[in-house]
Amino acid sequence: MKKFTLAAAAAATALTLSACGGSSTTGVSPGNVNPSGEIKAREISWLLSRPANGSVITVMKELADEYTKTHPGFALKFVETPDRPSYIQKYETLAAAKKLPELFDTDATPFAAKLAKQGQMVDAEKLLKDIGLYTTYRPSALDYQRFDDGSLYMLPFEYGAEYFWYNKALFAKAGIAIPTSLDDFPAMCTALAKAGVTPIAMAGKEQWPLERFMAYQPFRMEGEDYVAKLKKGQAKFSDPAGTKAATWLADLGKAGCFQKGFSSVGYTDAENLFTAGTAAVYNMGTWELPALATDKLPADIRDDVDFFTLPTIAGAKTGPNDYVAPSGIGMAVNAKSYDPLVRDFLKFALTNYPSRYAAAGALAPTKTEVTIPANATPLYKKALTTADSVGKLAMPWDTQLDPTTNTKLQQELVLLVQGDITPQQFIETMDTTLAQNAPKFFG
Amino acid sequence: MLPYRSRWSVALFLAPPLLLFGGAVLLPILQSVYLSLFEWDGITDMQFVGLDNYAHMVGGDPTFTTAFVNQLVYVAICLILQLGGALLIASLLLTITKGREILKVLYLLPAVISTVAIGLLFQRIYSYEPTGLLNGILKGVGLGSLTRPWLSDVDTVLAAVSAPEGWRFVGLYTIIIYAALLAVPKELEEAARLDGANAWQVFAKIRFPYIRPVWITTTVMATTFALRGFDIPYLLTNGGPGQSSELVTTYMYKTAFTSTNYGYASAMSVFIVAECLVAVGLIYLLLYRKADR
Repeated sequence: MKKFTLAAAAAATALTLSACGGSSTTGVSPGNVNPSGEIKAREISWLLSRPANGSVITVMKELADEYTKTHPGFALKFVETPDRPSYIQKYETLAAAKKLPELFDTDATPFAAKLAKQGQMVDAEKLLKDIGLYTTYRPSALDYQRFDDGSLYMLPFEYGAEYFWYNKALFAKAGIAIPTSLDDFPAMCTALAKAGVTPIAMAGKEQWPLERFMAYQPFRMEGEDYVAKLKKGQAKFSDPAGTKAATWLADLGKAGCFQKGFSSVGYTDAENLFTAGTAAVYNMGTWELPALATDKLPADIRDDVDFFTLPTIAGAKTGPNDYVAPSGIGMAVNAKSYDPLVRDFLKFALTNYPSRYAAAGALAPTKTEVTIPANATPLYKKALTTADSVGKLAMPWDTQLDPTTNTKLQQELVLLVQGDITPQQFIETMDTTLAQNAPKFFG
Repeated sequence: MLPYRSRWSVALFLAPPLLLFGGAVLLPILQSVYLSLFEWDGITDMQFVGLDNYAHMVGGDPTFTTAFVNQLVYVAICLILQLGGALLIASLLLTITKGREILKVLYLLPAVISTVAIGLLFQRIYSYEPTGLLNGILKGVGLGSLTRPWLSDVDTVLAAVSAPEGWRFVGLYTIIIYAALLAVPKELEEAARLDGANAWQVFAKIRFPYIRPVWITTTVMATTFALRGFDIPYLLTNGGPGQSSELVTTYMYKTAFTSTNYGYASAMSVFIVAECLVAVGLIYLLLYRKADR
């Protein structure tokens, strides 16, 4: 029956889509961040793609309640979505119907760039400057949200640096040191596997963690240029950077880097492999600090956990402190319903948000100092300090490539690492897909 | 025969459900046909492309071809498990008297479990590291060489995602076929036995021909359900690894909501409708023809 419901829903969505593709009326022009008029309290909504009881929602709920006390009649309705697919479905359907709420979450994807181009989002850089908060943000947190042309339409609420967490005891057991170059990875995996250890815990079901590995070699070889050109079809997977990445990933697969059957392993299961001391390396962001650097970690491996940042390669174009540090999904402000109230609330919320968020032990997108939780291990502070010195950002490819090429890449990567296809086949398939789809989004 | 006026009133009462059906089912299908003639990303202007989407689907998209072949295998596995399993269980149920009701409820149970729970359940059953139920049993009985990551192996994944769907609805079809078997007149069976028919002959010459109309209905139900199968494969593997468990339905969903290519996704949805109609036609053709013989 579920299937029928789904088919009906899809059909109904198609119906809504075609019925609602009417004309757009814009409330303000995207650059007018301080519209005149009085503040009239009303209910506004925020379409979310964030964990239901996570810190972002908890803090914003508190702030909205406080704002309601001084502005009776105001309410912030949180439109929550249970998972990523249902969020995307809702987001795209509402966008097609031109019925997006006042605030909505979105990554800096090509789809979002189209919305911005149509004048549907408020210019976030101008907004932040207007309310006097622009300089309080970490530049890299804002850079992560920017489109290709450097324009900024999304506000970050989180920040995290991605490290390679590793288990010192397991490295000692295998008799190896941490890799100094990306090219040392296959040898590292071989040694660890020989010692009976799963080298790297991989949440293959989530797809993005493996896609990160595709980005590493090209980022070291050519910086951000490669993916910036690649996504537009101006570079190819068969170029040296792409070929190197494909060969490296095939080598990682051959060396048994990831646990067998990784492609169907979810986020929590992969993390458990590491925290249970089964896997030696885990590539993840600082948002997992509560699980990796507090007394939640089992006592027997608590002192064995450490991290290293993305290794470089010989002749790298990017520095050792340049790596992936995403500021999470951003929040866009709908230009159509932007008015003095939305501006006033955002000013209040964004001013007070960072200190409350950081008080919970999480890195804010601003330079606010984080309160380290009482149950933290010394690693917690070390991880936060390292995050402060992130240089240039390695952009994750899943927000860069057009969605069709991205889906195909995620699928083919698994086959490449599993050894089901050769690097050559991988490159050919990807270049064909790219040539067919990149022009649709970046033409 | 109803008097003229009564027939009018029957028609009047039948009209609202017909309108509802038309609005909820036929209209969206027509909308999809219309949308499939365009290229549209949902936000910019629609571009009329005629039959290009269909041409691409049939001629220029290897992923679609893979998905279609996968869907056929998926249907075959589901049908064997559901209809074959149901017929076997229902026949066995007829032979016992004690505990029959409890067994019926137990077999039906999976049909009422939520799909997401089934997804999580089978994720665990197929798991390789930590060792899941299936690999655990294989190791336990000395077949350790057969253990594998069922959902990551390109050779086993399609069967692995089809099996839960088959397992889930076995109970439902068992109940339907069991009810049909109960209605087979006992005198006929007894007469046949007196004439020396064995168990297989009783089944093939008496029972099965008697339940054929019900069999056709269940086949149609199971086939069309399987042709639209989506949720369990989507939850278990999202079509992967590669396209090894990609079905037309999961590919359609991705095309619409990940690639925002509503025109092409609509063309695929029209294809699914056509595919279901053809399948139903074939089933009637094959099974009724046999019945006439």
